[in-house]
Amino acid sequence: MADVVLKNVSKRMGSSQVIDGFSLDVANGEFVTLLGPSGCGKTTLLRMIAGLETVDKGDVLVGGKRYNNLPVQQRNLAMVFQSYALFPHMTVAQNIRFGLSIHKAPAETIRRKLAWSLDMFGLSGLEDRLPRQISGGQRQRVALARALVLDPDVLLLDEPLSNLDAALRDTAMEELKRIHHQVGTTIIYVTHNQVEAMTMSQRIAVLSAGRLEQYDTPRAVYDSPATRFAASFIGSPAMNFLNGAVEVHGEDAGVMTPVGFVKLDKERFTSAKAMAGRSVTVGIRPQNIAYAEHHESKRYSDTTLSVSVELVETLGDRSLVVSRGENGTALRFLITRDIDIEPQEMVEVFLDGRRVHLFDPQTNANVFSF
Amino acid sequence: MSTIARVKSLPVEGLKKALWVASIAAAVLLVAGPVYMLFKYSISDSTSINTGGAPIPLWPYHPTFRCFTYLFSDSQFFGVITNSFVIAACTVGMSMLLGVPAAYVLGRFRVPGRRLLLLGLISVRLFPDIASVIPITEFFIRFKLQNTYTGVILAHTLLALPYVIFIGMSAFEAIPDDLEQQARVMGANGFSVFFRILLPLSIPGLVAAAIYTFLLSWDEFIFAYFILGLGKISTLTLFLKQKLAFSPPQNLLAAISVLLSLPVIVFSLMLQKYMTAGITTGSVK
Ligand SMILES: Nc1ncnc2c1ncn2[C@@H]1O[C@H](COP(=O)(O)OP(=O)(O)OP(=O)(O)O)[C@@H](O)[C@H]1O
Ligand SMILES: [Mg+2]
Repeated sequence: MADVVLKNVSKRMGSSQVIDGFSLDVANGEFVTLLGPSGCGKTTLLRMIAGLETVDKGDVLVGGKRYNNLPVQQRNLAMVFQSYALFPHMTVAQNIRFGLSIHKAPAETIRRKLAWSLDMFGLSGLEDRLPRQISGGQRQRVALARALVLDPDVLLLDEPLSNLDAALRDTAMEELKRIHHQVGTTIIYVTHNQVEAMTMSQRIAVLSAGRLEQYDTPRAVYDSPATRFAASFIGSPAMNFLNGAVEVHGEDAGVMTPVGFVKLDKERFTSAKAMAGRSVTVGIRPQNIAYAEHHESKRYSDTTLSVSVELVETLGDRSLVVSRGENGTALRFLITRDIDIEPQEMVEVFLDGRRVHLFDPQTNANVFSF
Repeated sequence: MSTIARVKSLPVEGLKKALWVASIAAAVLLVAGPVYMLFKYSISDSTSINTGGAPIPLWPYHPTFRCFTYLFSDSQFFGVITNSFVIAACTVGMSMLLGVPAAYVLGRFRVPGRRLLLLGLISVRLFPDIASVIPITEFFIRFKLQNTYTGVILAHTLLALPYVIFIGMSAFEAIPDDLEQQARVMGANGFSVFFRILLPLSIPGLVAAAIYTFLLSWDEFIFAYFILGLGKISTLTLFLKQKLAFSPPQNLLAAISVLLSLPVIVFSLMLQKYMTAGITTGSVK
């Protein structure tokens, strides 16, 4: 086991700067997720740590040792590719033994580890099958088993669950968490699926276009997104954004937006007042907008808005309402399934002033969070 | 909507199927017909060939393996078959030894000038053998390779190499990069990656290339003729040519031809196993 530190790493591919001054520290035994949209450079970062891509600038340190120029086969890392990359001409057992035999492990060790991994990953009985003779979920487990028998310093996982169906993915997530708990290996996990990131990781690194947007616990990333990008990428349905300017009206601080004056939390009046006159982008999650008639009581910090319903999408236990405020500004919010709202209806909603984020329109940084 | 589409497409489907069956039947007839005729002649008695004007029967009146027993009792013939076999086997060994490493490098690395090289390889084989045989023979004579096994093996290797390199290269190229990189991450060096991952996975392609090479050498006449002439070393094709000069009975010629084509049939059946697609299924995705 080891910690991983990336110091200002950069990588150019062809004409594009794929990774741009990226820094990250992963503690020994930590489960960290690299989360970002397709093409933001997650795989490239992982491959740079594994040694499959060269590092243009900056340093890759594993266990305090500089890895930049260390050949791939000398790094004690394991990687599970998005494709699993099982050796098709080898049985499950041969696949799992491969790395051990490369490292010339004694026969007794190989036998013991194979037995351990078959048991750990529920693969008993499949050891003599070829990869093409087992299911997708089983292949994924073989890939993990094959990686973990090597006792790697760091386990790199590139979207290992993306080929699984929803039900299998849920089980696999639980399993992965359990395995991390039992084995304690440092894990760097790549995904563009926020549920996977939220469920499994201790810290999430949010990436956009080769840069780090935020690096924090799942809770912190959700509650106080550092940038507008992090705010929009995490949370489902996506956050609402409204442009406006901070204003102070007597006792109340708020933002004048196209849909009306959005009040800010009273407790943060002082910091809001200091921003008076400043242009900002208001961010509020659909979860923090309540359907007025349904809401027991309006709080002082709530803003009441009239919106016209455009569309109601059923999400299962809840429904997403797409509505438009004055000037046609879109606003999306959630209602429970027992509420009946029809398109074209005018309804009142409450914006929870305690859950409003403000972003700088130029830098996109969060300037006001709770 | 969909039912209408299905009803409408039915006759088309039927026609398609009929066409398919017809073309398969035609192909089988085209391939199997001559083979059958050859075989029939080889076991024919002379009255089934010289019918005196009556049509030649579809099956000989008195089938006999006399021609085969005659050939095998000929001590020269046995030596000829052995020669052909040894030359073909050595050609396979030589071509593989030279071709596989080249195929590996061309298939797995970015080699500068690769396209030009491949173009050169193809164009070499575009010359008719009869055109290239004279300069090559002249060259071989200079190195005292005329009338030697080495000479004819080298010549056949020359003919087979472009194919071996081409087929081998595609086999190596088809292996997903992920597999090689995965092995490297797991600690394998270039040597282990080659012998434990790349080579086993390209075996089907390489076996196909080897069989092709064997047949190429086994059937080859022009180069064998120029290099071996009618000297001490004779091959099956040279033997056939020698017999032809004396206008022998058709059934004897047919028997030699059957023996000449036997490996083709045997290997084609063997090749079948490797032709089935999907050897890498289940590895990636
Ligand atoms: N060989 C290459 N040459 C030029 N650009 C490349 C090359 N490989 C990748 N890129 C670019 O680098 C960027 C990052 O690629 P990468 O594979 O790391 O993305 P990713 O975050 O893993 O995406 P995904 O979620 O789709 O797997 C992409 O925009 C891609 O187009
Ligand atoms: Mg990727």
